[in-house]
Amino acid sequence: MSGNLVVSDLVQQFGGLVALNHVNMEVNLGEIVGVIGPNGAGKTTLFNVITGTYKATSGTVYLNGKQINGLKPHEITRLGFARTFQNIRLFPKMTVLENVQMGMCCRAKANLLDNVLHTGRKRRELAAQEKRALEILEIMGLTERKYAMPDSLPYGEQRKLEIARAMATDPSILLLDEPAAGMNEQETGELMRTVRSLRDMGYTIILIEHDMKFVMNICDRIYVLNHGERIASGTPAEIQKNELVIEAYLGKEED
Amino acid sequence: MLKQSNGTLRRGWNSFLRFLAMHQTVILIVLVAATLALPLVTSNRYVLRIGTLCLTNIMLTLGLNLVTGYMGQMSFGQAAFWGIGSYAGTLLIMRLGLSTIPAMILAVVISGFFGYLVALPSLKLKGYYLTIVTMGFCEIVRLIELNWTSFTGGALGIMNIPPISIFGLELRSAQATFFIAFILVVLVTLVVKNLVNSTFGLSIKAIRDDDDVAETMGINIVKVKRTTFVISAMIAGLAGAFYAQYATFIHPSIYTTAASQELIVMIIFGGLGSIPGTYLGAIALTLLPEIMRDLLEYRMLIYGALMVIMMVLKPDGLLGSLDLGLIRRKELERAAKVGGGKKGGKGA
Amino acid sequence: MFLQQIVNGLTIGCIYALVAIGYSLVFGVLRLINFANGAVYMLGAYLMYIMMSMANVTVALALPLCLALTGLVGFLVDFIGLRPLRARNAPRMAALISTLGIGTFIENAIQIWIGTDTKAFPNFLDLGRVQIGGAVISYTQVVIFLICVVLMAVLSLVVYKTKVGKSMLAVSQNTNCAKLMGINVKGIIAGTFVVSAMLACVSGALVGSYYQNIDTTMSFTVGMKTFAAAVLGGVGSLPGAMVGGLIVGLAEAIGASYIHSGYRDAIAFGILILVLLIKPSGIFGKQNVDKM
Repeated sequence: MSGNLVVSDLVQQFGGLVALNHVNMEVNLGEIVGVIGPNGAGKTTLFNVITGTYKATSGTVYLNGKQINGLKPHEITRLGFARTFQNIRLFPKMTVLENVQMGMCCRAKANLLDNVLHTGRKRRELAAQEKRALEILEIMGLTERKYAMPDSLPYGEQRKLEIARAMATDPSILLLDEPAAGMNEQETGELMRTVRSLRDMGYTIILIEHDMKFVMNICDRIYVLNHGERIASGTPAEIQKNELVIEAYLGKEED
Repeated sequence: MLKQSNGTLRRGWNSFLRFLAMHQTVILIVLVAATLALPLVTSNRYVLRIGTLCLTNIMLTLGLNLVTGYMGQMSFGQAAFWGIGSYAGTLLIMRLGLSTIPAMILAVVISGFFGYLVALPSLKLKGYYLTIVTMGFCEIVRLIELNWTSFTGGALGIMNIPPISIFGLELRSAQATFFIAFILVVLVTLVVKNLVNSTFGLSIKAIRDDDDVAETMGINIVKVKRTTFVISAMIAGLAGAFYAQYATFIHPSIYTTAASQELIVMIIFGGLGSIPGTYLGAIALTLLPEIMRDLLEYRMLIYGALMVIMMVLKPDGLLGSLDLGLIRRKELERAAKVGGGKKGGKGA
Repeated sequence: MFLQQIVNGLTIGCIYALVAIGYSLVFGVLRLINFANGAVYMLGAYLMYIMMSMANVTVALALPLCLALTGLVGFLVDFIGLRPLRARNAPRMAALISTLGIGTFIENAIQIWIGTDTKAFPNFLDLGRVQIGGAVISYTQVVIFLICVVLMAVLSLVVYKTKVGKSMLAVSQNTNCAKLMGINVKGIIAGTFVVSAMLACVSGALVGSYYQNIDTTMSFTVGMKTFAAAVLGGVGSLPGAMVGGLIVGLAEAIGASYIHSGYRDAIAFGILILVLLIKPSGIFGKQNVDKM
């Protein structure tokens, strides 16, 4: 179902602003790939283009050699992409369990008639979905919270719920936008274990993160963006030595 | 001291809700039996007329709540679809000589078709476009009903609509129409309940909460919105076809934007995204002007104030945030944990 | 005949444009549609009627009084119906319902108080008329045109050239950030509501004087038409609202002479639906990029 994700010569402009400037990227099956860079470097924009929220100005995104940019966001999700959001965006009036089950809607086999007539097919599917949703909550350590409202969860758990909801869409590639933001050291450590176990389950993971310790510890490879351009790529060790990267970060850390 | 009594009140209320949640089936049977008993104990035409009106409004508001309460898109089209159902049903019966059931089915299809047309331009856009387009649509439909005299009878409307007849059996009595209305309400309730408790229902709730994220989670929001809107229009069409034969007289000033607004107020009052809330709102606001005749003139004034008050104080309506199914599940799981060996039932 | 329709269409179009600007101003700051706008327009007309015909107050006194009163109502629309919702970050539909409720309340309060029959409105601009070519132009029309042009010019200057305008933009982009920058957010929002209400009041007074009669359906029909005008031009854009208002006015005046007069009020809706099908962002509207 999954394979190589290739981002080729991607350009994204908003009016005069160039958010992504000829960006190239390749992600292989089962990798954990980090995307780092100062604020405004175009990291989230890259996610938005991959998941179809933005239509790229030029360039192509391939999944298994097939072009996917130009498709609608919901079509791209069905091809096996799922994401979380930098500024947590859970469904506030739905319970934790419903938030996760909602992610499964896009894979539902029961059609409208099944739903209206409450057929056996629909009931079986609902039961199976609930079972799977509970499994996912178990993996993310949220079982106790299943009937809570998302707003009542502490910040770290909301981030986990975002990942749980993304997993529910049955993706092959998970895009995590700053999963460790706002977490304390212990929570970050837990998250690291969770992300690794996700990879072991077969997910390919692309993550945006500012927490360098987290990124350097967990990623197989890293891409560095600055002002919409890819300034470096390589293993964590290579990135840490790269002068362009140091410059980009030092320039920002002056204050 | 106030706090203490408040706490007692809350505990009392919570245990009341738990009671309701655990005995849903029994309560439902009692309510259905009581409703069915009404035409048996009374043949008072006035009481039955109000009862039938309540049931019609329940149908209309259940359909509206799908779009407005569950999906979060405010529509002013419900009265127009109600009108289209009424006129379509009536004309099919009076001009083409159809009997009630085929006329009703066709009226539902026609209303649904118009729902689809209205959804085309507005549902790809943000919420308030739908509101304004449905307002315009409601007005255009009313103008057509008013001005296309040869077809719709113009301002005078259509009189002497034949009563409901099923398999050649004419149902003239108030009791019989009440009974038919009740069957239709049960039907519509089941459709809405089944839709809401499905992946489709989760999709529309997700659209209500955050449509951009819903789309990123793989939901074809344009298609889901359109489908919901069409189903809502079809329900209104069903209510319309029934209403015409029950009232035997229809005219354009029934199906106005003000009528749409009254339906909206009913669900805002009773509960956005709640079936019991819909029942409560429709029944309460149908009965209110009948009970307080003196207030009739002030009705829309009160409704206007009510809309603001509800939004400021209780934006989901009285029963909107009440989820008896959830309370029941929690209670069953708690019982299963406490009981240990006892088998826990499945949640409703 | 055709020229006459154009003159009439431009006159009513100017009035629509003023009301449409009210929608765009509020949308520009809060990203929401103030559905009470049509009712405030009706309130303006009826207040003028009450003062001039029922209380025999002169225009010079009645107009400022009406402006003050509708301005106050505009403030209250926000204060009662929207501020509590902003405080708890309520969904947009709540704001929509709330403003609509206020509109309904105002409209029905007037109906109960004054009655639903058509009222004769004093023509306080009656200064005679001239004939140019085939068209008769009354000075009322000239005055309406001038007043609208001046008001639009002043507003455009304020919104696009002054610090107040920049503050409005800042509030619409990010309320919290604007607050931190020292912008008086509450003041900007309240001011926007007051100004858009006063514009609606001026339009109501002008339309009354132009047609010399008013009735209680004006709230709904003009509220809808001017919203259509705002969408046509691009909600949030002032030039858009002006052009949209003129187009709706002209289309109605010209269209009404060719189609069944019963459908006259449907023209604006027809335009609205066409715009939404063809270019939903309107003539001057920008496509919004939502940040994920």
